[in-house]
Amino acid sequence: MAEIPAVQVMTKRAVFAALAGIIIFLYLLPLDTRPDTWPVPDFMLLIAVVWTARRPEFAPVAVIAAVFLLADLLFQRPPGLWAGLVVILTEMLRRRSKQIRNMPLLLEWVFVSVGIVAIAVAYRVIIAIVMMPQAPLGPTLIQLIMTILVYPVIVGMAHLLFGVTRPAPGQTDSLGHRL
Amino acid sequence: MARDKQEDYVTPLRRFLVGLLVLCLFGIFLVWRIDSPRVERFRAAVVDRVVPSFDWALAPVTGVVNLVQDFQSYQQLAEQNDDLRRELQRMKAWKEAALQLEQENAKLLDLNNVRLNPQLTYVTGQVLTDSGSPFRQSVLLNVGKRDGIVDGWPTMDGVGLVGRIAGVGNETSRVLLLTDTSSRIPITIQPSGQQAILAGDNTLNPPIDFLENPAVVRPGDQVVTSGDGGVFPADLQVGQVALGNDQRLRVRLSADYERLQFLRVLRAQLHEDITDPGGLLAPTIPLLPPLPPETAEIEGPTIEATDG
Repeated sequence: MAEIPAVQVMTKRAVFAALAGIIIFLYLLPLDTRPDTWPVPDFMLLIAVVWTARRPEFAPVAVIAAVFLLADLLFQRPPGLWAGLVVILTEMLRRRSKQIRNMPLLLEWVFVSVGIVAIAVAYRVIIAIVMMPQAPLGPTLIQLIMTILVYPVIVGMAHLLFGVTRPAPGQTDSLGHRL
Repeated sequence: MARDKQEDYVTPLRRFLVGLLVLCLFGIFLVWRIDSPRVERFRAAVVDRVVPSFDWALAPVTGVVNLVQDFQSYQQLAEQNDDLRRELQRMKAWKEAALQLEQENAKLLDLNNVRLNPQLTYVTGQVLTDSGSPFRQSVLLNVGKRDGIVDGWPTMDGVGLVGRIAGVGNETSRVLLLTDTSSRIPITIQPSGQQAILAGDNTLNPPIDFLENPAVVRPGDQVVTSGDGGVFPADLQVGQVALGNDQRLRVRLSADYERLQFLRVLRAQLHEDITDPGGLLAPTIPLLPPLPPETAEIEGPTIEATDG
């Protein structure tokens, strides 16, 4: 069937929110309180980006904003700044999701990576402008590179586990609107 | 066609709302930058509400992961066991020396009639979460204002200093670890007695800053808190001096940062607050004692003599 019932969309949205919650939870686990030598990729950003680039209707902007604001508060980041930048990036991807749908994966990857790098640079610039202590550059770069490298893996997992697939040509929602 | 028409109404409205949302988020950031304490209190309240609600899941998941990690290291155990046995042999000799020293110390303390500070009691808390970010080094404890925790109190594990309280919620409090980039602790290096600052830089062994004379400090020297500035009690064990790969003097921390599980929050006495800035600089005139008559008599002729 080419149709997606509205209920299923709501379920997928709930799945997205739950997944973000689980990622926050995993980051918070006190497994190793030593400073990391290898910072882990930013999985929250990755799922937000993958979801909006491939199936924007599963990741509503309100959920993204709420989840990232909560993460800012819990992770001791400046509250609101990263959340705002992520909302801007996901909105840009959302608007271009119809073009992204026709891109090969490699091109999509480059496209999204440019976006991620752009908001990371914007973050550092804003922190510099308001004269706050910067996070060390080395680990930030490593984290950025790892985040970008992991992107296709998250795309695959989203596709296989969570059914976040690009809509097929001519696929419609339950009200008969074309996706 | 219907879809295109519908989009004409929805898209601008949606764009407006999203713009508003982004403005709100940046607004929160600006408010935080301008009035940090208020937003930080809000942050503490959110953490206070959110983290204990999944406390039930934190402990078992952490436990299971640790169990798996322990199981992986099972093969190394035999090898480690031998090492430990050898080390134990050496330690036994040290233990004897330590016992003798302890007795001697007790005797000397008794002779000097020393009273150790009875106000230094502690509250023990369990670590709930770590900071969740690779660039912040802090942990969250399950004790808070309810248990009388106050901002700035030092926190130790069984052996050494771990950090200080920075942010208290009602049921939780945040411990800023010594490894955090914003942690600065005044220290004394024994036996040379050099004063310095331990400045966290996001690595496991924080470097020593503002050391006056590095020549008299050698790797292996003991590092304790100095109590300068009145923020921290003096003589809390911090660690040992070590020479880093970058030829900077660093401190190998005594606390076991690999597994911070239970932490002691020391009830440090509150230091005195200076309330009146003017009183220190300009002594008020009525406080001067009136000149005693004898001095006046003595001084009188001297002045005359110099005049003449």
